[in-house]
Amino acid sequence: MACLAPAEELEIFRRPLHSDASTRVSAKGRASQLAHSGDEELVALAQQGDRRAFEELIERHEQKAYHIAFGFARDREEAKDLSQEAFLKAFSYLKKFDGRSSFYTWFYRIVVNVCLDYKRRAKRTAAGEFDETIESQMEPSHNPARPLAPEQHVLAGQLSRKVAVALQALPAKQRTAFILKNNQGMSVREIAETMETAEGTVKVHLHRAVTALRQSLAELA
Amino acid sequence: MVGQNGTTPCADLEADLVLLHYGDLDDNARARLQSHSANCAGCSAYLTELAALLPLTVTTDAPPQEFWMDYNRELRHKIDAALESKSGWRSLTAIFTPRYVPVFATAAVVVLALTITFGNRLWSGKQGASDDELSQALPVAENLEFFRAMDVLENLDLLKVMGDGIKDAA
Repeated sequence: MACLAPAEELEIFRRPLHSDASTRVSAKGRASQLAHSGDEELVALAQQGDRRAFEELIERHEQKAYHIAFGFARDREEAKDLSQEAFLKAFSYLKKFDGRSSFYTWFYRIVVNVCLDYKRRAKRTAAGEFDETIESQMEPSHNPARPLAPEQHVLAGQLSRKVAVALQALPAKQRTAFILKNNQGMSVREIAETMETAEGTVKVHLHRAVTALRQSLAELA
Repeated sequence: MVGQNGTTPCADLEADLVLLHYGDLDDNARARLQSHSANCAGCSAYLTELAALLPLTVTTDAPPQEFWMDYNRELRHKIDAALESKSGWRSLTAIFTPRYVPVFATAAVVVLALTITFGNRLWSGKQGASDDELSQALPVAENLEFFRAMDVLENLDLLKVMGDGIKDAA
């Protein structure tokens, strides 16, 4: 799975944070302190071996990481595994994070790379096969307050399948730009930072992705 | 940019229209494009199409609270497992640290020297002839047997001659 960093980079996290009763008393205060710290502070603490600080980072970013992964995998379990793998990689490489970009940019780059690797592996093994069990878990954007009627559910399933196939057919960079924009609502600048490319390039990827999807899904519009 | 027939957007504005749909244009660009779209049937239709199509491609998932509890627990276990496996690796690789290298080198030299010294003695007695040597020796051995047989025959002849001589003498 994840290729991990040298042992000493992980070893710092083995140090217990709250080893005795006196420190346990202040655990609540510390949790509150961490909750109010910025990402940069938490990263700095985690780099010094503070595992609780890293767990705070997990709590902050787990939902977004999961949803990015879900955009790629379109499967709950896969998305869980992929986002967790991304956290493990971030955990292992945290010492190498130099703060040139923000933590979330750096971390979401890891998430995207893990997802693209997964897609490459999936392509090799399943050759673009679409799993019906995945379809059953997917619900295209709709108002959750209004449950779908049975026939609408069938249509939603068919739509999901077509969208999945259309997305699958996109080149990796176009798919990434599209998912980060369309599913996550990230700005072009954030996407550019995450993909380590120019904003103009992201615009081109996005436009091409939308054009391709428009052609693939023309009859649904 | 101008002269669209009402079904296709202006080619040079298409990428910006996508950003306009997502609300990712600065104020000036947005105002300019909105003003253009109001008077351009192609761009206006394109925006309407994007508004109808793109929300269909968003797939949402809202796992229950238990999912997130499992998620966190599982992730903590994975982190612990990563720490454990790295710890195991570390203890294994620790023996190859530079301070132990001279010890290993000395031990290797001693073992090699002992092997060369005693190995020859022990093995020389046990070691059989090689195939080449055997293939060369076998014909010679067969020849020896032949000559021995010849010697016996000659001896028989000699005995016969001697026997004849005794008979004649008698």
